[in-house]
Amino acid sequence: GFLVDSLSLTMAILVTTVGILVMIYSDSYMRYDQGYVRFYAYLSLFTASMSGSVFSPNLIQLYFFWELVGMCSYLLIGFWFTRSSAANACQKAFVTNRIGDFGLLLGILGLYWTTEKTGFVNFLFANIIIVLLFLGPVAKSAQFPLHVWLPDAMEGPTPISALIHAATMVAAGIFFIARIFKLILSLPLAMSIISWVGGLTALLGATLALFQKDLKKGLAYSTMSQLGYMVSALGIGADRSALFHLITHAYSKALLFLGAGSVIHSLEKIVGYSPNKSQNMFFMGGLRRYMPITGTTFLLGTLSLCGIPPLACFWSKDEIITKLWLSSSYLGLVASGTAALTAFYMFRIHLLTFEGDFRASQSDEIDFNYSPQSNKTITFSFWGKTELMKEPAIGQISQNAASLEFRVKNVLSTYFVDPNQSSQIDSSRVLLKPKESDFFMTIPLIVLAIPTVCIGVLGVDIPETQKELGFTSFFNWFVFSSNIFKEYKITEILFEILLDSIGSFSLSLFGQKQIFKSEFSSEKKIISVLGYFAYYAQSWSLNRGFIDYYYDLFFIRGTMFLSQVFLNFDRHIIDGFVNATGLGRGLVCGVDLDLVLSD
Amino acid sequence: MINNVPWLTTIVFFPILAGLMIPILSSDGNKIIRWYTLGICLLEFSLITYVFYCHFQIDSQSLQLLETFSWIDSIHFRWALGIDGLSMGLILLTGFVTTLATLGAWPITPNTRLFYFLMLVMYSGQIGVFVSRDILLFFLMWELELIPVYLLLSLWGGKKRLYSATKFVLYTAGGSIFLLLAALTMSFSGSDVPSFDIQDSIDKSYPVSLEILIYIGFLVAYAVKLPIIPFHTWLPDTHGEAHYSICMLLAGVLLKMGGYGLIRINLELLTHAHFFLGSGLMLFGAIQIAYASFISMSQHNLKKRIAYSSISHMGFVTIGIGSLTDSGIDGAMLQMISHGLIGAALFFLAGTCYDRTRTYLLDQLGGVATTLPKLFTMFSIFSLASLALLGMSGFVSELLVFIGVSTTEQYSFPFKIVITLVGAIGTVSTSIYLLSMLRRMFYGYRLVNQSNSYLIDLGPRELFILICLFLPILGIGSYPNLILPI
Repeated sequence: GFLVDSLSLTMAILVTTVGILVMIYSDSYMRYDQGYVRFYAYLSLFTASMSGSVFSPNLIQLYFFWELVGMCSYLLIGFWFTRSSAANACQKAFVTNRIGDFGLLLGILGLYWTTEKTGFVNFLFANIIIVLLFLGPVAKSAQFPLHVWLPDAMEGPTPISALIHAATMVAAGIFFIARIFKLILSLPLAMSIISWVGGLTALLGATLALFQKDLKKGLAYSTMSQLGYMVSALGIGADRSALFHLITHAYSKALLFLGAGSVIHSLEKIVGYSPNKSQNMFFMGGLRRYMPITGTTFLLGTLSLCGIPPLACFWSKDEIITKLWLSSSYLGLVASGTAALTAFYMFRIHLLTFEGDFRASQSDEIDFNYSPQSNKTITFSFWGKTELMKEPAIGQISQNAASLEFRVKNVLSTYFVDPNQSSQIDSSRVLLKPKESDFFMTIPLIVLAIPTVCIGVLGVDIPETQKELGFTSFFNWFVFSSNIFKEYKITEILFEILLDSIGSFSLSLFGQKQIFKSEFSSEKKIISVLGYFAYYAQSWSLNRGFIDYYYDLFFIRGTMFLSQVFLNFDRHIIDGFVNATGLGRGLVCGVDLDLVLSD
Repeated sequence: MINNVPWLTTIVFFPILAGLMIPILSSDGNKIIRWYTLGICLLEFSLITYVFYCHFQIDSQSLQLLETFSWIDSIHFRWALGIDGLSMGLILLTGFVTTLATLGAWPITPNTRLFYFLMLVMYSGQIGVFVSRDILLFFLMWELELIPVYLLLSLWGGKKRLYSATKFVLYTAGGSIFLLLAALTMSFSGSDVPSFDIQDSIDKSYPVSLEILIYIGFLVAYAVKLPIIPFHTWLPDTHGEAHYSICMLLAGVLLKMGGYGLIRINLELLTHAHFFLGSGLMLFGAIQIAYASFISMSQHNLKKRIAYSSISHMGFVTIGIGSLTDSGIDGAMLQMISHGLIGAALFFLAGTCYDRTRTYLLDQLGGVATTLPKLFTMFSIFSLASLALLGMSGFVSELLVFIGVSTTEQYSFPFKIVITLVGAIGTVSTSIYLLSMLRRMFYGYRLVNQSNSYLIDLGPRELFILICLFLPILGIGSYPNLILPI
């Protein structure tokens, strides 16, 4: 059956508009891909099942489509199956979602069981059911304990990241909580769990997004953080603001992802098709000159996500933050802090990508031919030493990240130490310039920019008319919080511009400040003050908060160990017993002994 | 209703009689034998369908198409056949899977006559098990099944085929002894005239301790077939070595005999004992799901991995039967059918993959998706079906089993939670091993071996088999009412 109400209609509008735009966009994005047809088949299946889940009248049907959506996500993340990272990512996404889905299923069963009995419902038991039900959205919307799949999911094609992992599928979790909202509302314990999980995720996502190198992963963590806002808002009972933020965020984030896709698409031809290169923000920079439409729309998205007043996310996010302040000051603090961090990392992403100088050509050159000149090998070894000195601090976990980082630093250092040399190289080679993407890719960007700008004004009317009385006090909050915002923002923007004028992502380079010659001396102080903090923040961010590492240690290795133990048990104890019996019987029956013993 | 024609007897005997004709056929090439066997299988399948369609009332719960002939009077051993909804589903499954397995066995070249003859014997034996209404006849059919499997294993298997075949035979024969003992005990107790008829046995009542003993006797035999956990080690070996068309039959039909027996005899005849031992069954089933899926995770052999996944899935059957609720038993039934289809498909896929790459080891596979896109697609579909994705039959059955567990009145609340949680762990790890299997086989970019540059994608025959298997999976999954009334 189908259920149409305001909630499902809002979601349906969101799903279909973003869906159509992504389809138009990916026509151009995927044109030269071998799996063009397959891509559209998956995409249509996804859109269909997403709409199905939106209109579901009962939990079982919702679960049905929910899982279908998960399957589409699995298929689309692993779309480029020749990449082993994509293969790992889609498996991870599916298994993580599976855990959540199973919780959801158990919750549905529990609900079924209790409603069937129609008797007195144990209070604790009801809370358990809600928490189990909540597990589904936790996995789907990438909330804290099960968020690990979302950044990896960026292995999929970028339109998919925009549609599934930013706008619709991850929002399905929020939608689900909103759907069962009346159920939750009577259970304060479950509510507080939900709101704290949301708050924690918001903060975690923001801190993790701070120093990502990968453009899409940065955006993914940002999505996670924003979803945390929504869940947290749902947890305090502000379902309307959560949904409002869902809509505004979905448009802004879809815009950002499609912009990122456009950047990647044009950059791929220059730096190579590996996601390590084409999505690496260190190779970008100054792209707004080359791709004005993408750059401008991306800026709009960034501004919106940061909560700059007239844009969409400002309204919804401020509403959430206000309500969080009203319900609990800790949550409010978390939310405001996250908002500040959001401004920081979003501007970092934007500035690294679109402002400054285009760095890909130099890096490309040095990356592939750094050896021929003896001068460079010396700097190389020098950097290698400092890297080794740093390593114990980073710890073994970050070795991968460090080595990647190392390459980039190497690139940048040669660039900065010896600008003449690199310009020589530049002139010796015909530089490829990134180009603006074609019409079909920019149209969705422009179209998406419209709701990004103005949907907030639409949405904000609702609380205004409904809460006529309370609004004056709200209004003060609005003004106040937006003031805070501006303050934060100005400092951060300044700070960022300062950093970018150093041009080298200097927080990561604090240990090597003696390398920078006197012309950088003015910035030295900032670096050294912030250095320690920034350094740890960076390693935290690049190592994904070490969460993946410990998951790997405890769950994956634990599972493998357990599996090995079971296998040995099976092979030696049970089968050993069988073989021994077989041996005895074989003697009696005259079966060839070698035959039995040959195992 | 036409009772004059002994339809069931015809169904049982037709394949084996037709199989006897095989030696008469001319021996120039395999083609004739292949087509002949396939024709027989199709004919048999359509016969089954026709009989069920025309002479079977789905609405009524009772046994139908009863046939009784006195066979050995001195011990009151009779040839008694009859079917109800439970056996009907499984007979259809048998017909379906066997036909497809025959089609799947086309690459087999050595000694085709014997091979196809044995296939047909197996066909008869399997249907015989599902239709017999007499415990002794049931036992006979159960044993008849064993011989062709042993021969098929030991003649057309892999490197360790003799070991596996011996293991299989010893295991099942060991189980069958208990079956025979229990059957005899049951028939002799309570009356001076031995009676093997299942209908009579329902009316009998036994002392509880004796009933439990009989129950355990039967259970051991079924536990070997079903594999319940300590009796499962024949399965990975057998499946690892057998030719894939035989694996299809083993996974598709043979394992179901255990579940069928458990429902037919233990559940229906020995209700009191079942009441006592149901919790144990559930516990074993839950452990089995988790245990086997964990083992499967660290298997490097493709077929053994799928074999352990079979064991894990059959755990749901055990749980469902143990749950003592209607939905649980329905779920167990459905799980048997759906696993029959999915397991057969997975083994077939593994076999076709082996035909191309000449290896079962996951470490040696990898990155073949680019060269074998159709195989990749099919493998993905069936893996997803196997991990109980929505819309596939596996999901419906597992859902029913879980509903059965959670709604049962028999057990305490913590026990149900434990069962569900252990089952849940198993379900989650199922997705882990199946997906990592997919990942290691297909994803990535690595040529298998440089020498194997002749990888060709699935042919129409193979695709046809897979699509045939897929349609009922999807059908049951999206509209379970198709089969649930049975």
